Amino acid sequence: MMLNDEERLGVLVVHVAMPRIDAMWASAFKEEIATRIEKGHHRLVLDLSDVDFVDSSGLGALVACLKRVGPLGTIAIVGTKGVVSKLFALTKMDRVFPLYDTVDAAIEHMSA
Amino acid sequence: MTASLKLLIDSDLAAVATLARAVRSACAGMFPVSALDEIEIAVVEAINNVITHGYGGRRGRDVELQLYLRPEEAVIEIIDHALPMQPGLITGIAEDPFQFNLADRASWPEGGRGLALIRLNMDHVAYCSRSGENRLRLTKKRRRA
Repeated sequence: MMLNDEERLGVLVVHVAMPRIDAMWASAFKEEIATRIEKGHHRLVLDLSDVDFVDSSGLGALVACLKRVGPLGTIAIVGTKGVVSKLFALTKMDRVFPLYDTVDAAIEHMSA
Repeated sequence: MTASLKLLIDSDLAAVATLARAVRSACAGMFPVSALDEIEIAVVEAINNVITHGYGGRRGRDVELQLYLRPEEAVIEIIDHALPMQPGLITGIAEDPFQFNLADRASWPEGGRGLALIRLNMDHVAYCSRSGENRLRLTKKRRRA
């Protein structure tokens, strides 16, 4: 599991350095993010710039994490491209997750 | 002229990405990127279903993929010997399968999107089960410019 953390202005930025969040990795990914939430991080940015593919299991893991932060928390998604963007749009998950092109843009919005 | 490819993997989720990339690569000369994305989504979801639901996540079983590239379409058949899907499950998809109540966080779906993603990303989907062999046929038509 290749996740690299960076804390900026009270927001935990998780750089997902793995090419696919799919059925193989979804469960472990969910637990990794859940661990960060349990440690008190309720404002997260998931940087998916290096992620080439997400399947429905990966998407389900993301939704589970979003539910876990609760209504006062937030998980923003950065850097979706290609088939990942297509999946978010097709499943209407782009209505649930705030999507940004850059980490800076996500943090700026979350800090406002 | 038809070109064909046959691939066989173990029922291991770790092998799905390799299979999907192979299909995508084989179709690359025929389809634009957007269609390749759609094919990859459908193939991954279909094989995930076989491994996770059909074989119950058990390794050591076969998942076969046959790809036929015709001038007007690509046809992908996924063959397994797992428990068959319930009849009508693949074709009985709701009109808007991704509808959910945005205001009700608890109801946001964490699963159950696989079959709808297969159905909506391919032009034709057919399924049959006979003598212990299940065949899921996915067809993607080439769009004329």
